[in-house]
Amino acid sequence: MFMDIKNLQFSYPKSPLNTVDNFSFTVEKGEVISILGRSGSGKSTLLRLIAGLEMPAGGAFTLNGKKMFCDKTFLQPEKRGIGMVFQDYALFPHMSVEENILFGLPKMSRKDKKKRAQEVLELVELIGFEKRYPHQLSGGQQQRVALARALAPEPELLLLDEPFSNLDTDLQVKIRGDLRRILKKAKTTAIFVTHNQNDAHALADRIVKIKDGKIEKIGRPCDLLGVSPTEIPGMVEITYEELIGV
Amino acid sequence: MNKHLANVNGWTIGAVLIIILLFLPNVSIVTGVFSPVSENWAHIKEFMLFNYIKSSLTLVFFTALFTIIIGLSLAWLIAQYDFPLRNFMKWALILPLSIPPFIGAYTYHGIINYTGVIQKTLRNHFDVTPNPAYFDIMNVPGAIFIYTLFLYPYVYMITRIFLSHQSASLIESARTLGKGPLEIFFKVVLPISRVSIIGGASLVVLEVLNDYGVVKYFGIQTFSTAIFQTWFGLGDLDAAIKLAASLMGIVIFILVIERLLRGGKQFSYSTTKVRPLPLVRLKGRKAVFATLYTVVIFSVAFLIPILQLIDWVILTYGKVPMQDVLFYTKNSVIVAGLGAFLVIVFSLVVGNFSRVVNHKFAKILPKLTVLGYSIPGVVVAVAVITTFIALDRFLAPVYQYLGMDSELVLSVSLFMLISAYVIRFFAIGYNSIETGFDKIGTDFRDASRMLGANSLRTFFKIDVPMMKGAIISGFILVFVDILKEIPLTLILRPFNYDTLATKAFQYASDEKIMEASQASLLIVGVSTIAIFVFHKLLREEPK
Amino acid sequence: MKKSLILLVVAMMLVLAACGSTAKKENGTEKDAVAKKPEKSEVNLYTSRHYDVDNELYKKFEQETGIKVNVIKDEADVLIERIKREGTATKADLLLTADVGRLYRANEEGLLQTVSSDILAKQIPENLRDVDDMWVGLTKRARILVYNKDKVKPEELSTYEALTADQWKNRVLVRSSESVYNQSLLASFIEINGEEKATEWAQGIVNNLAQNPEGGDRDQAKAIAAGIGDVAIMNSYYFGQMLNSEEPEEVKVAESLGVFFPNQETTGTHVNISGAGVVKGSKNADNALKLLEFLTGEEAQSEFASANYEFPVNQNVEPSELLKSWGDFKEQDIPLSALGENNAKAIMIFNEVGWK
Repeated sequence: MFMDIKNLQFSYPKSPLNTVDNFSFTVEKGEVISILGRSGSGKSTLLRLIAGLEMPAGGAFTLNGKKMFCDKTFLQPEKRGIGMVFQDYALFPHMSVEENILFGLPKMSRKDKKKRAQEVLELVELIGFEKRYPHQLSGGQQQRVALARALAPEPELLLLDEPFSNLDTDLQVKIRGDLRRILKKAKTTAIFVTHNQNDAHALADRIVKIKDGKIEKIGRPCDLLGVSPTEIPGMVEITYEELIGV
Repeated sequence: MNKHLANVNGWTIGAVLIIILLFLPNVSIVTGVFSPVSENWAHIKEFMLFNYIKSSLTLVFFTALFTIIIGLSLAWLIAQYDFPLRNFMKWALILPLSIPPFIGAYTYHGIINYTGVIQKTLRNHFDVTPNPAYFDIMNVPGAIFIYTLFLYPYVYMITRIFLSHQSASLIESARTLGKGPLEIFFKVVLPISRVSIIGGASLVVLEVLNDYGVVKYFGIQTFSTAIFQTWFGLGDLDAAIKLAASLMGIVIFILVIERLLRGGKQFSYSTTKVRPLPLVRLKGRKAVFATLYTVVIFSVAFLIPILQLIDWVILTYGKVPMQDVLFYTKNSVIVAGLGAFLVIVFSLVVGNFSRVVNHKFAKILPKLTVLGYSIPGVVVAVAVITTFIALDRFLAPVYQYLGMDSELVLSVSLFMLISAYVIRFFAIGYNSIETGFDKIGTDFRDASRMLGANSLRTFFKIDVPMMKGAIISGFILVFVDILKEIPLTLILRPFNYDTLATKAFQYASDEKIMEASQASLLIVGVSTIAIFVFHKLLREEPK
Repeated sequence: MKKSLILLVVAMMLVLAACGSTAKKENGTEKDAVAKKPEKSEVNLYTSRHYDVDNELYKKFEQETGIKVNVIKDEADVLIERIKREGTATKADLLLTADVGRLYRANEEGLLQTVSSDILAKQIPENLRDVDDMWVGLTKRARILVYNKDKVKPEELSTYEALTADQWKNRVLVRSSESVYNQSLLASFIEINGEEKATEWAQGIVNNLAQNPEGGDRDQAKAIAAGIGDVAIMNSYYFGQMLNSEEPEEVKVAESLGVFFPNQETTGTHVNISGAGVVKGSKNADNALKLLEFLTGEEAQSEFASANYEFPVNQNVEPSELLKSWGDFKEQDIPLSALGENNAKAIMIFNEVGWK
């Protein structure tokens, strides 16, 4: 099993209920998983737990055979090899696009770093934007920089927190398609949380529906949501393309 | 498993060490509350305490009120409007902070007293001898006037930074709802800037409470007078410390009340969408009024006293030994620079700790360090001496091992003085740094760690550069405060270590204000340069 | 990271300790390096006298003897507290105060050691030395009356006590009770007239005040010129300063006032004595004694008199021309330790009668 979570427990201080309650789940390599739930359902907390930004009250988590946490160990987030795209991107405002991307690269020669930056920029189609600062970019461009930055260190797992919530509706549809293409092209295992069924539908190989910190349902998008992808405008082409591409 | 423990390690250890160091001297004061009552206590209570508290409260209340009115109105004008001289006034209005209030008091009294320039001119050139009662500022209203003039920049500075960075969308939406400027001011600006107003005003209040120079000269009896009468007059230091401790108690009480009142109304900063407020250009009479208002405040609080000081420097030229001036200036800059640097470094460590360990205790603990700021410096000095002599005794075997012939090493070095500055002014620097941490939030930090950067790399590559503004403004505030500082410097310095402030005090305390003008003017000069540099650095900061 | 923090702190300590020692060196650059060579040839002063003339005299002493004078200046009580806390480890050798009342206090705390020599005995009259030789007087200032020459005839003035009479209602000026000079004045009355009489006097002065006590001694003189009151109690030293001020208006004010030494027919004019004592545990007691002998010697005493308008304690030295022009006067004759003993009592009386 590539990623394995067992009996994950978490609660915020002073809260009587578990925000995440006895959560168990596995993911295959290269899968794109969507965690779907209303706000307050514990989905963002789940993501932060996987990332290592919150400490669980119990449970175990292994990624690619490496123990992320169990009863005895807790691996710091910077040591997990997990990438994350934040809801508001959190691009460092004092760094240019290129500097933002270079920041996350492991120790290697300056030349290799630059090369890698070019690769991911090409992937997100932002060649030529290296010297721009985040505030000089549009929302969609910022999102793609955030994605490039997270992909650059070649994480074993990519987490995306509400990746489309800060975008216009038109843009959402386009970027959704781009994102799936990029993820599949980079063969990245990814988990993203969303409250939007359409997003989940369009992007995910599998959907995990959660409610009150518990898994309600797991399944393929069409099974779970009962809507065929073809019924969502703009989706057909992309799904098709993906089928060919992979 | 404690969920906070994982994120802490070195930061916690560092922060806790720093906080303990900061508290150590204060503890010896706080325990003074419980010391047994001396035979003088009944006398103190009957004749000093209650009357003195009354005048202290009067001073505190009105100074706070006027500094808020002036500071906020200026901050609002500068943050929202464009008018002639605005760009100059933006930083020049901070400059009165560079004049120590007691020098301001001596200077203003010097200007308007019987032999001062106003009465002198009226008498000698116009043959008018006005009623001297009109020219008496040595009373409670006079002291309020002095404190307001030289302390309002605290409110102005903190509120302006807040308004110009945080309020754009709120104010714009109020505008689109058809609200007039006055209504926007009272319904939007005032409520949203409440936290920063209180932040600035509480610094003012603490300064007024711990001040002794102005009230002593003016013959006003306040709580600090009571402390000094008890110590210097009655020779009863224990009772004086007890008084100081009760003053701390009052301050804790006020802080708690303020916190309760504030309740959930803390307006937090939005993390990534920081947009400056576009300026509204004033025209015609409104522009004239705005310019006039700022010019009047600037003149009264800075220009006039400075001109008087310059006049005195010229008058006493050659009478005051000049050869050591460079030496004093250098000393002043060294101690102020080192002190401010350490305050900022410590604030960053503690601030980061308080942010990472997201726990109430970690938020409140650093705030309590403000206590040391509420009582007269010289009481803090005694506590610092006691602490350092104990430290020297503790380290005595080490000194012996190193072959030193003295039992006192740290307590006769500059180290003691700098530490005392850090203890006293930590709260000022921390205030700035904490605001900076609040402003950047935790997302960038999380993002950095998700990119594989550890805590330390994140701190230096992400947090520090993003907080440049807060760091510089905290540094400047502490720097200027240390330049002006007197009681700690006087008693805690090594032999022969004179600074500009001690020189100014030496003359002024001997009623030689004219001779004090040279050192005073240099304090103002160095501070002005620092404030100007600060202004320049902030302007170049990428938005 | 913890390590680097600790390293930083340690480095900072070293730098600061180094700064402290360079400060000492730099101030001594006027002096040639040879004179500095003998080890321990220094004397450490804690002083509440902060006058330029003192610094000049220390420099002169250094040149003559090669003994380096190191100084910390602050309020006397703060310095006493520091010595007390430092205990026998203290670096202080000599404590100088602007008012002997504070030396009494230091002695009560057991912080002083005896100081005596033939030279001191010769240079300082017996009544200006402590009975147990714990400290000696350095200079004197008189607490005089100054008056408006147009409104007050000198014949109307006689004693401090007389100022409490009804004829002076709303005419008397004096600074606040926080001034150590006023505290010593009242302390001397407690010694001479008893507590009850002293309280009556303080009450009488408060009743006759022309305005609430405010400002310093100079301000009392200016208030006369401004017409607020007619007679003020002030220190001769400050009056001398005004007569020699850089501000012509201050000189004019001082010249328009008359000087009167009160209580000439009775107990004598109150004098504030500035003095010094050697600190117990002093490591340079010999040098401290040398400095005391120097400061009470003729050369230094005439400097105090001419540059600082203080009355010399050394009787071989004439007061300055200005001081002489005010005439000879009879001084209060009481044991000086009484001033220190009665200081706290004086404060209480001030508070009780409402002398701000």
